[in-house]
Amino acid sequence: MKRRWLGVAGVLFALALFAGSRLRRLHEPRFPPLAELTGGPFAFQDAALAVAGFRAPAADLAWIQLLQYTAGGVPELPDRPGHPYEHLKSLSLRVARLDPSFHRAVLFGSSILAWFHGIERPDEAADLLNEGMRRSPEQPLYGLYLAAIAYKKQGDTDRMVALLESSFDLPETPSTMKAILANLRQSRGEYREALALWERIRDNERDRSEHARAKAKIAELRALLRSRR
Amino acid sequence: MQTISAVYAYTFKEHIRHKAWLSGALFGLVLLGGALIVSALGQDERGRLMLDLGLAAIEAISLVSIVFLTVNLILVEIESRAIYLILSHPVRRADYLLGRFLGTVAAVALGMAVMAAMHAALLGLYGWWEPGRYLAALGCMLGKTAVMGALSLLLSLALTSEAAAMAFAVFLWLLGHFSSEMRFLADRSGSAFLKTALVAFSHAAPDFAHFNYRDFWHQPAPSADWLMWAALYALAYTAACLALAVQVFEQKEF
Repeated sequence: MKRRWLGVAGVLFALALFAGSRLRRLHEPRFPPLAELTGGPFAFQDAALAVAGFRAPAADLAWIQLLQYTAGGVPELPDRPGHPYEHLKSLSLRVARLDPSFHRAVLFGSSILAWFHGIERPDEAADLLNEGMRRSPEQPLYGLYLAAIAYKKQGDTDRMVALLESSFDLPETPSTMKAILANLRQSRGEYREALALWERIRDNERDRSEHARAKAKIAELRALLRSRR
Repeated sequence: MQTISAVYAYTFKEHIRHKAWLSGALFGLVLLGGALIVSALGQDERGRLMLDLGLAAIEAISLVSIVFLTVNLILVEIESRAIYLILSHPVRRADYLLGRFLGTVAAVALGMAVMAAMHAALLGLYGWWEPGRYLAALGCMLGKTAVMGALSLLLSLALTSEAAAMAFAVFLWLLGHFSSEMRFLADRSGSAFLKTALVAFSHAAPDFAHFNYRDFWHQPAPSADWLMWAALYALAYTAACLALAVQVFEQKEF
């Protein structure tokens, strides 16, 4: 009689175990194991947050650090002279391994590595996209970017640009990629097309981060078009 | 039932007046404000950052509140000897403990609701609106809070030390989020003993890794069935811990 609550607890715990097994069978979160998280100066921060059940916030903080790196560098990861964006691939992978659903980090990193003027490391971009596709196969832009990189390697710029532009209005397309595309058009002397792309960037609320640049570019391209006439 | 509701109402009012709870809520507001500022650095992902960091702040505050409140819930009354006065009345110990626990969870849930309302309003200002999934995430967070509350109460009664109970509660919180890793390690372990121990631990600890809707929000959503089983899991685990707490409480001599 004195130990009746132990029996009740046992039954309830068995029920919890059963419900837990059903829970795991119905849905398995797609997070890579902690052992696969990238090392480096932020390893402790990532592991501490992931162990405490804050993987998505950890990926968010890693994303901010990735943006800081691309905007001018972080003191923990200095680039060697002549090696711009040396750590971009590892920092993008870091976000993707913390939370594979953070597609924008992979797309952002790969677009800079493959198409940013003066960087041009398409193999690293392809590695990044391949890992992204393996962890999150439902994201269609990974395959599209890989195909565009293949066209780039073949020197088929027309098809590469056409393919990338087909994804221009998709919500997942990073603003940086849109800016790269507009600059690609300009570098090919296609000012009218470049102007149209910058105007679409300026008019899209999602591309707020590129609005200031879009305004400057629109003025520059209008002047170029006037001087052509 | 009347005893439970009377103790529940008294506990709820006590916590509403409690300064520690109010400072927790204030700290939560600061964290929510911080999420708003930090998310401004996220460029294209501002909405995602506001959502993740806001929900994480609400959960962290709720965890700290529930552990602190439940660990002290009965221990303070034992130390001040107020428990003698209460138990000298015709109050069953199980009813008393259940009322105290439910009142505490309700007070923390109220704090979560206030923070969530402010967070959802902020998200709404930035054009985000997904009430169904938001409520599901909040429900899972409340489930985790209730499980942690029951575990902390059990630990405080079994260990009779606030510091030890809080330390073990935090350890179990971490272990709960480590359950997938423990199964991963068990799969790769060559030792049968280690494998069995890891699987046993992963089942005995609360499985927060599979219960963390807030964290896998951006992944494909689980089905409605999953939510039902999640609710059952939280209820059964909480009730099991409470039953053990009642067992320990009934064996204490006052």
